[in-house]
Amino acid sequence: MYDVVSVEERNRPAVAVVNEGFASDARSAGSSRGMPGVRFVATSVPCESSIDKDIDAGITAAMDNIINALTKPLSAEEKSPKPKKVEKLSRIVFRGDLEETNRFFYQRGWTDGLPIIPPTEEAVEKMLMGTDLSPDYILAELGPRAGKATVEKIAVNAVMAGALPTYMPLFVAGVKALIAYPEYGYLRYGVSTGSWAPFWIINGPIRNQIHVNSGTGALSPGDIANATIGRTMGLILKNIGGMRKGVEDMGTIGNPGKYSLVVAENEEDSPWEPFHVEHGFKMEDSTISFSLPNISVCGGWPYGSDDEGILRYLMYNIKGGGGCIILNPTHAKVLASQGWTKKAIKEFLTEYVRVPGYRLGKGMTALPSGLRGDRLPVRDTDEVPLIRNIEDIAIVVAGGPGAHIGQLMGGVRVVDGLFSCWGKTTMKIELPNNWDDLVAKYKNIVPTYSRY
Amino acid sequence: MKTNIANTNYEVLNPWAEADPKPLQGITARIADLTGKKIGFYCNSKRAAYPVTQVIAEKLKTRFPTCETSWYFFTRVSIPEIETNKDKFEEWIKGVDAVVGAVGD
Repeated sequence: MYDVVSVEERNRPAVAVVNEGFASDARSAGSSRGMPGVRFVATSVPCESSIDKDIDAGITAAMDNIINALTKPLSAEEKSPKPKKVEKLSRIVFRGDLEETNRFFYQRGWTDGLPIIPPTEEAVEKMLMGTDLSPDYILAELGPRAGKATVEKIAVNAVMAGALPTYMPLFVAGVKALIAYPEYGYLRYGVSTGSWAPFWIINGPIRNQIHVNSGTGALSPGDIANATIGRTMGLILKNIGGMRKGVEDMGTIGNPGKYSLVVAENEEDSPWEPFHVEHGFKMEDSTISFSLPNISVCGGWPYGSDDEGILRYLMYNIKGGGGCIILNPTHAKVLASQGWTKKAIKEFLTEYVRVPGYRLGKGMTALPSGLRGDRLPVRDTDEVPLIRNIEDIAIVVAGGPGAHIGQLMGGVRVVDGLFSCWGKTTMKIELPNNWDDLVAKYKNIVPTYSRY
Repeated sequence: MKTNIANTNYEVLNPWAEADPKPLQGITARIADLTGKKIGFYCNSKRAAYPVTQVIAEKLKTRFPTCETSWYFFTRVSIPEIETNKDKFEEWIKGVDAVVGAVGD
């Protein structure tokens, strides 16, 4: 849609042809570029269809509308759209009991479907203890709607998610990570039909201070930090960025990772340098990093417990395109003991994760035929590498005892052919002056399971 | 003593962010008739984009035999063309009378 807006801006009449399920998305896209009247025709052609008769039928039915969209004179509103009356947002938005508040927020589309903690003045004030920034300081304008990410709005969404004030520094750094490459990172993947979910990696001393799980079930529910850090960032994207399911976020299948996908690296049990140190930060720095995977395999079972068994498993089972491999400490130590560094593993995978050409399928792009930019045409018998660059792979050590390997793949390559997001979306977490007091105050908030 | 938290009343803050209104722009005047006009087809990265435009072009030619066609293909996946290949894209736009953009979805 943005390209159609660009055409209109250059004084040529244009029309976008979209699948009927994308009508709302098309409207939002036009409005987000200041052109609410941009014309589009919704058709019954299935998304990404490769079936000629479906395409023909859908276009045949839409032809009159397509021609009209290019020839029918403009209405006064299309010619000169009147600004919508901007709703002045009241700071206090509702008064009610717990159930009423939850219903109100849910019906306004402000939640992720789970209950929220009412963001009262007192609760938000408490959340703001986690930052030295002024509540009205604008950290960023988050897309697609360019909502102003004030520190207070971040705190409101953090309260809703059930986060603790000690997580505020992560949210501030997390928003900075989002905007590091907005057009090519979260904006590109966050609204995509590919259902990419923000995945957050926490490194440095803060992991232990706020109890981000890096051990058993780090990606499972049950830890307030892992659960609410990702949840808060999801609510920020929704309520500040305006990335709403089925309107702007067009993820076809959806992704449970969008509730929360947060892991800390188990730096203490890793034989290698931590992720953030690999990317130029100091060991004593605390950082938050993100990517947007859409393939999660958390039960990868290696063919043996030695280096060959682990690496052959990855070689034959890893999904292409790059992403994050989560190795448990036992596997990491086995590999390290056999001389494997993180870099050597990445080089190995980049070289040997290959498929025969015939498995690539056809029609991955809209290009009619022939050479595509930097690539040669692939023959069926060619062996094709699935990972273009070692920079596309991250290796993080986390997880508990057990023989399984995790993969969170995809959403890595920020600009095709140029660079991957790893390290570039890593932000140092700045701590408030009262940090030690805050940590002391919340340090005992950990689950204690009774034995039975 | 029973406490019913559910009946406690809360005064809650708004999580929805403010956004400055965007300056609005209208769309371009249409062309009265496609006869003899050059229609541009823009295809993004999605698989269906090109075949969709092929079918539209065929049907346009049936109705308007003198209309010409021209295609433009995306440079980088999901990135607005104007940000990646501005000069080439603008040159192409100049050379057509109207554009049909196919997004493949």
